[in-house]
Amino acid sequence: MTDSLTALVSRFGVTAPAWLWLLPLALLPLAASAQRRIPVPSLAMVPADGLSRLVDAVLTLAGVAAIGFLVLALAGPHLVGENLVRTGEGAQISLLIDRSGSMNETFAGRQPSGPEESKAAASRRILEGFVGRRAHDLVAVSAFSTSPMAVLPMTDRHDAVRAAIRAIDRPGLEATNVARGLGLALAQFGPGAPQAARVLLLVSDGAAVIDRRVQPLLREEFAKTHPTLYWLFLRTAGSPGLGDRPGGEDTPQAAPERHLDLFFKSLGVPYRAFEAESAQAVEEAIREIDRQERKPISYTERRPQRDLTGFAYGLAALAMGLLIAGKLAETDLATRTSASRPAASRETRRAA
Amino acid sequence: MTGDILYRLRGPAAGPGPGAHRSREIGGIGVFRDQVPFWRHPDARRIDLRATLRDPFEGTVVRRFEERRALEVWALVDLSASMRFRGTGVTWDLVTELCIALARSATRIGDAFGLIGCGAGPDLMLPASRRRGTADVVADRLAAIRPRGTSADGLLTAASSLAGRRKLVMVVSDFRLPEALIGALFARLQGHDVVPVAIEDGALDEGLPAFGLIELEDLEGGGRRRVMMRPSLRTRWLAREAERRESFRRLALRHGRPPYRLADRFDGDDFSRHLLWTAA
Repeated sequence: MTDSLTALVSRFGVTAPAWLWLLPLALLPLAASAQRRIPVPSLAMVPADGLSRLVDAVLTLAGVAAIGFLVLALAGPHLVGENLVRTGEGAQISLLIDRSGSMNETFAGRQPSGPEESKAAASRRILEGFVGRRAHDLVAVSAFSTSPMAVLPMTDRHDAVRAAIRAIDRPGLEATNVARGLGLALAQFGPGAPQAARVLLLVSDGAAVIDRRVQPLLREEFAKTHPTLYWLFLRTAGSPGLGDRPGGEDTPQAAPERHLDLFFKSLGVPYRAFEAESAQAVEEAIREIDRQERKPISYTERRPQRDLTGFAYGLAALAMGLLIAGKLAETDLATRTSASRPAASRETRRAA
Repeated sequence: MTGDILYRLRGPAAGPGPGAHRSREIGGIGVFRDQVPFWRHPDARRIDLRATLRDPFEGTVVRRFEERRALEVWALVDLSASMRFRGTGVTWDLVTELCIALARSATRIGDAFGLIGCGAGPDLMLPASRRRGTADVVADRLAAIRPRGTSADGLLTAASSLAGRRKLVMVVSDFRLPEALIGALFARLQGHDVVPVAIEDGALDEGLPAFGLIELEDLEGGGRRRVMMRPSLRTRWLAREAERRESFRRLALRHGRPPYRLADRFDGDDFSRHLLWTAA
């Protein structure tokens, strides 16, 4: 309790501290009040009264609070943003999504028409459900076509993630550059939480050659972050599968998917490839991943700075409301306002 | 309304000269008092022939007459700041009116009127005088002064200065003083006929509001206090005031007359009735 309080106090800050020099003004209500003072011969004649003392204390405090909170509100109070460490069950998931032009096609390799959906739309629909299901997953979204795009850093804000995923069925562009995409997706894991389960989910409908010069770098990165790698291969009907050897020369250029698969297998990280030829197959693959990746995860979350100005103004208004109520409840003794000497005394003087 | 205040001393007067009040002095003219043998009062002009002839021992009998004497009337006025109170009536105006009426009434029948005003120390001193203009002087002096004493301890010293012959002393105050001070004051005025005049105000009595918030400030610098008025508190307040008044009344009765309650407006006839009624 006290710990959380001190934590709260330590996070407190103001934008314009110079205003706080006015804070001593808050002591004014201790010396003066807005009520009209009525002089009486002696205060000893007033019976001691607990309720009156309470009302007095409340009104005085309200006066102090009204001025104090107004000054504080002028200074712009806020709670400074902070990083919180949380623990949950889930995984750090880095989604790497292919945005190449072929993703716009259906699984049959045609432009979608009528009730058919494109590969991008299907993966969008399924990934959306996947993200919503596990509350404590940290998800990062990256996309790639010719060059990689960092869509969303690692976060537990699933709304943002879902919005990022919703955006992936916008028409894609150009070619497929897996190597740079992988580099970005790996970088998304960041340095924190080494014990957490890390999942790199690559969604693509094809592959490209990974330059031999880039391969050692990628290997190194994989060794460092050690993620579990899932490749959701959205296979267009009729195109070669991962295990299919090409008819001619077995070079990466001739069968990029097969060689990418071989490259992944040689990385030394847990790896699994799903060849999905239809939307149902994609869904099954996702469910499989969901089932497997459940481990305790601790992650840091950045809480934004919280503005307390409205709160301070509210408290000041509340205090002023009390003061106004006190002022409205004010009454008076049945005193005579005229200060002139009574006429009778003049009469008696004349008589004298 | 003549406005004259009629008063009578409790017991015989012992003024400096002849006047309007009964005394123990024996003089040549006045109300018949008694008959004594000639040797006790050898005044040949007052020989009662009829009684002398009727006396079986053939003694000579002389008539004696009561002499009427004058009186000194003093007003001992509390000048503490609480006398500045304005309620339904204005306290200080009431005091002024009372003193002027007393001065006028006293000098009209040949009595002397003196005035002492005291805050923490004696501030106003008007020696007793039988001059006809005394009432004007009193009015001027009282109009010039503002009560601002923080206490009324000066009353004690003033009371000591009122030594000598028996006088009629009006102690004019709101008597919101420590009971010990009032007791000591009355004790010092033991030899005189003391009439306590308690200035009160309807605004602090029946005129108290039943509901509301009042911020009260002590006129004698005792601070301020917010009071949440409500019927129960008002009842308690009035009960306390009644209790204070009763204990003060008992204290005053122990030293002579009951106090006169002067509230809101000054009524000379009412005051006269009080003075005559309590003189017996």
